[in-house]
Amino acid sequence: MPTLTIDGQQVTVPEKTNVIEAAKTLGIEIPHYCYHPGLSVAGNCRMCMVEIEKAPKLAIGCFTPCTEGMVVFTNTEKVKQARKDVLEFLLSNHPLDCPVCDQAGECWLQIYYMQHGQYESRMMENKIKKSKKATSIGPHVNLDQERCVLCGRCVRFCDEITKTHELGIFGRGNREELDVFPGKQLDNRYSGNVVDICPVGALTDRDFRFQVRVWYLGVQDSVCPGCSRGCNIQIHYNRNRPHHGHGRRVARLKPRYNSHVNQFWMCDEGRYGYKFVDAGDRIISPMLRRGAELQMATWGETLAASAERIRAVNPSQIGVIAWPQLTNEELYLVRRLFVDGLGCKNVSFSVPSKKDGGGDDFLITADKNPNTRGAGEIGLPIADSTGDILQAASRGEFKLLHIFGHDLLSSGLDQPLVESALAATETVIFQGSNSHLTVDRADIVLPSATFAEKSGSFTNFEGRVQRIHEAVPPLGDALPDWQILNRMARALEMGWDYQGTEHIFKELAENVAAFSGLSYCVLGDQGELLGYKPTNEAHIPTEPVTTVII
Amino acid sequence: MESEELQGIIDHYAGEKGALISVLQDLQGVCNYLPEPALRQVSDALHVPLSQVYSVASFYNAFSLKPRGRHHICVCLGTACHVRGAPRVLQEMERQLGIRAGDTTEDMNFTLESVNCVGACALGPVVVADGGYSGQMTARKVSPLLKTLGTSHEENQNDS
Amino acid sequence: MKKIRTIAELGTLRAALERERESAKVWISVSNETCARANGSDKVIAALDEELRKQGLADQVRVKGTGCSGFCDRNPMVVVFPKEIAYQRVSPDDAAEIVGKTLIKGQVVERLLHHDGKGHAVQHEADLPFYRYQKRLVLRNHGRLDPTDITDYLASGGYTALSQALTMSSEQVIEEISRSGLRGRGGGGFLTGRKWKSCREAHGETKYVICNADEGDPGAYMDRSVLEGNPHSVIEGMIIGAYAIGARMGYVYVRAEYPLAVTNLVIALQQARDCGLLGENILGTGFNFDIRVNRGGGAFVCGESTALMASLEGRVGEPEVKHIHTAESGLWEKPTNLNNVETWANVPVIINKGADWFASIGTEKSKGTKIFSLVGKINNTGLVEVPMGTPLREIIYDIGGGIPHGKKFKAIQTGGPSGGCVPEELLDLPVDFDRLTEVGSMMGSGGMIVMDEGTCMVDVAKYFTGFLQDESCGKCVPCREGTAQMRQILSDICEGRGRPEDIDLLEELGHVVQDTSLCALGGTAANPMLSTLRHFRDEYEAHIFDHRCPAGVCTALIRYTIDVEKCNGCGVCAKQCPQNGVSGEKKQPHSIDQHLCIRCGICREVCRFEAILVN
Repeated sequence: MPTLTIDGQQVTVPEKTNVIEAAKTLGIEIPHYCYHPGLSVAGNCRMCMVEIEKAPKLAIGCFTPCTEGMVVFTNTEKVKQARKDVLEFLLSNHPLDCPVCDQAGECWLQIYYMQHGQYESRMMENKIKKSKKATSIGPHVNLDQERCVLCGRCVRFCDEITKTHELGIFGRGNREELDVFPGKQLDNRYSGNVVDICPVGALTDRDFRFQVRVWYLGVQDSVCPGCSRGCNIQIHYNRNRPHHGHGRRVARLKPRYNSHVNQFWMCDEGRYGYKFVDAGDRIISPMLRRGAELQMATWGETLAASAERIRAVNPSQIGVIAWPQLTNEELYLVRRLFVDGLGCKNVSFSVPSKKDGGGDDFLITADKNPNTRGAGEIGLPIADSTGDILQAASRGEFKLLHIFGHDLLSSGLDQPLVESALAATETVIFQGSNSHLTVDRADIVLPSATFAEKSGSFTNFEGRVQRIHEAVPPLGDALPDWQILNRMARALEMGWDYQGTEHIFKELAENVAAFSGLSYCVLGDQGELLGYKPTNEAHIPTEPVTTVII
Repeated sequence: MESEELQGIIDHYAGEKGALISVLQDLQGVCNYLPEPALRQVSDALHVPLSQVYSVASFYNAFSLKPRGRHHICVCLGTACHVRGAPRVLQEMERQLGIRAGDTTEDMNFTLESVNCVGACALGPVVVADGGYSGQMTARKVSPLLKTLGTSHEENQNDS
Repeated sequence: MKKIRTIAELGTLRAALERERESAKVWISVSNETCARANGSDKVIAALDEELRKQGLADQVRVKGTGCSGFCDRNPMVVVFPKEIAYQRVSPDDAAEIVGKTLIKGQVVERLLHHDGKGHAVQHEADLPFYRYQKRLVLRNHGRLDPTDITDYLASGGYTALSQALTMSSEQVIEEISRSGLRGRGGGGFLTGRKWKSCREAHGETKYVICNADEGDPGAYMDRSVLEGNPHSVIEGMIIGAYAIGARMGYVYVRAEYPLAVTNLVIALQQARDCGLLGENILGTGFNFDIRVNRGGGAFVCGESTALMASLEGRVGEPEVKHIHTAESGLWEKPTNLNNVETWANVPVIINKGADWFASIGTEKSKGTKIFSLVGKINNTGLVEVPMGTPLREIIYDIGGGIPHGKKFKAIQTGGPSGGCVPEELLDLPVDFDRLTEVGSMMGSGGMIVMDEGTCMVDVAKYFTGFLQDESCGKCVPCREGTAQMRQILSDICEGRGRPEDIDLLEELGHVVQDTSLCALGGTAANPMLSTLRHFRDEYEAHIFDHRCPAGVCTALIRYTIDVEKCNGCGVCAKQCPQNGVSGEKKQPHSIDQHLCIRCGICREVCRFEAILVN
């Protein structure tokens, strides 16, 4: 653990930490393009120059390991001049098309120019024309070769992280171009990450392009609900330009660093899988079946109707199919309400999917639900599997089915069985966010919020409990599931009064052994494992926390 | 080029680490350039990603990704040649052939290239045409040289 | 060739070969390297053979195609042994006379001899001023050996150094090389012995030695010549090095632009293998080692060690940032020792003659000799091997014979594109690694390009900067963009678009590229421009402020006109002008239409009356 001095401040860092990372722990940002903490060091942008005492030349911070007693200066005249010069070189061959560039606002050429450049143009800018402008090179990524600063991050990503090697830098010298081999596509399952790590507008996201300027975006931390990995993400939402982006409130998802889960990355499936949040099939109002038709109703009416039907039947005649897309807090309330409160004996949560989840050996898991582990730890299922519940229902043993989220009619379940179960059951209550075939068969529909519209926590397949936060309010009359359950319990006069998800989580941690010791404070923004044992020592991060996207 | 022929080249380097460049050199020796389908075959056979094959093929001066002409003219622009007037020789070549260095005439007869020293500095300015060295070149000698090449080409055609 | 199984057997064989050579005293050498072949040396060999056959001497006199003894622009050179009568610029038509006169009658063919400046003919090769001031260690056998015949090398004492080394411990070999003070001839000037030692001491079973024959410096061709003319000297050096370091595999990374060097090297390797000098159990000592040849792909940057190794691994030849020296983690991440051709070729010399002898040659910190390629505006173009510390003036005037056509010397460019220009006032500089660096140039691989008053220094700077821009791998920003910017500005100056502020800007850019680039190519890319600015600032200023190219080189700034006094209206220029831009009545002074003129210079080239003026 060497101790060194950076700009007069002492810092002790783990062995082999480089100067950029060490400076970061002191809140000192050393500008850089090619360096990325998740990739090998290339050392080609020459932007992260620092002055090291007793060294004859400036050194690059990315490639300089911290050593005991090292004295580093990141802001001397010499350093500033070098940065300025490197920027001047980069810009001398970069199109000044910021007004039409989607990267504007989060472009590190722009940002660093404003911070470190600001010179008068002195060179003959005979820019080299390159062949590909705004060309799609894969299902998700657009390439603009002229904007590329040839930092090579994307190439290293495809070589080192996905090992799919689609991208290369072809040619030589200042005729070099980033490209795919003729006829090849950048179509690996993680391709969107190259857009995140591209410091400029050379690689842009086909989904996000021209939806909204980045300075209109709000940012909220969350966790990807796309599979049981629970990749840490940021939800970028359209703050106050509702007329932009065709009504899309959530503009994009970006991976958020978590060394235990996803490092810097996320898969394309997760990245582009959020569209249901603002989709046209969102259920925006509670509904009651009146005759053949589902009709809009108020929450009061629907909850009263639900309570009435639930009270009317024997708890043994109620089947509940919960949903591993629900948060820990919500699943806990499902158990509290139906099992502890009403005494139901038939609560399941898992429904087989029609197609294979296609897990890989990196981030993607086959289980497409973010909270299967949480549901299990909370004590679900009770008694029977979903198949068993449907069997019983089709035999007429249930008077009421409460289905959360699942579209049973497009699932991997035996479809005739689903049909007959739905037909044989007197009351079907559906609680979920988006409309589908199963919703049409419900008698009562309770519209719920999506992951982006609520707070709570998920437990990933490894048992890491991680928080999600509300980025946008629930659409229409939809409510977070925990609120719906809370209200329903009140309608059933169970005396509940949960003030928020933290309140629920506190109770959950007290009542469910696996969650013992955990609290929202302990979870922080990186989550914590089940079975957590609090120590008296202050929490010291073992490695620098990296939160910047670049 | 037949894929068996390429396979022969690849087999020649079987088991050698890092044979990519040698394979591409031999391939170009046979084909006169590096055709795209052959690059795919090389990538598969050597288990080298296509992007790496293409990076290598586009990085080194020795490789051409475009078909080259029947006659290959290389003007040396080494320092010794330069100070003795090689740029004028190249200029004259470009003028007479109507192409720039690195290009091939439309009739696929000539490919003109420049090279940064062939190590025959005493002869400067040097032009290497179809493997033959011509020393002490001047702009005036360009036309006769091209004529000789053109003639030898016609002769070859007549022979065949 | 039979496999030689022991060191003693090699001795016996050598003795036999020496006797054989003794008995065949009369023979003819014809330099047959690339530049000689360009001038028809193979035809000369064929003609001599034919002539000997005709005159019934075929059985008694052998004609040998050899390496070039260095006096390159006199090729093809023919030397008749044992008297060592040296003929220059021999053509096939001369064969009959050489055989008839010199061999049969014992007379000299006067017109083929070298004539010095005073018109005196010089008979013997050793008496030529070009050779007299040289000290030829590496080149000693060039011009005497047939590079494709290992017995020639063996008979001249070849592989005695290997025999000697194999009886020593590897530590002793390294000690010997260290004591000799040999420094890398490729440009770095790093102590060879120390390099070997660190590679020897590096951890790992598998180690490699590499010969860097990617001679990229334009204007330097000693490596080509050594590989073409005496490949075994390099092979022997590499075997000794491999033995000392503990390597079992070696690579020669040779430029593909040197086809004959590749051919001769491959032949030599096969012969060495057949003789048991390469492969398993070399000379019965249990030492195994072999060498492979890799052809370069044409990238100057591959002369840089990490880029060269990347290229050997089949990757793009880009330099890499490294914490660990290649001696510990080089090719395939194994300890690797890289030396250049000339360095390897010095090794057998040192082992044979001893470190002390070697260290007695040269200066305090630069030992031994160095081969320079003396090219450009110089009378005697060729390869020159002199002791370190020889003054530039001696090289240029005594050996090189001065500047042609009585023109004035302007500068000598050393060190290749990374080097710099040394002006006239520094001509007494003793040439060694450190002194050249002191004056802002460098040794490099030994290219020496002589420039006269007809050389434009801005154009030279543009040339080198353009070269480096073309050869920049593009990996790091300052080199990729900086060389392009510098070249652009230099082009502008040469084309009359220079701005007063350009000189300061060039200096600033040059220092940035120097300070911030990733590898040595970028780190030195500004040298040609900075050193010409340092010594020839006035030429830059003439271009920028007066729109004038004092050397008459930059075409945008010159005009060709016809001196009416000298023009006699012969019409040759008018006939040759590709633009039909010269007109005039027959036998009357002609004139050039400036609108049509493309400044190709053909008129000036063909005019026999020096009537075409440049201004």
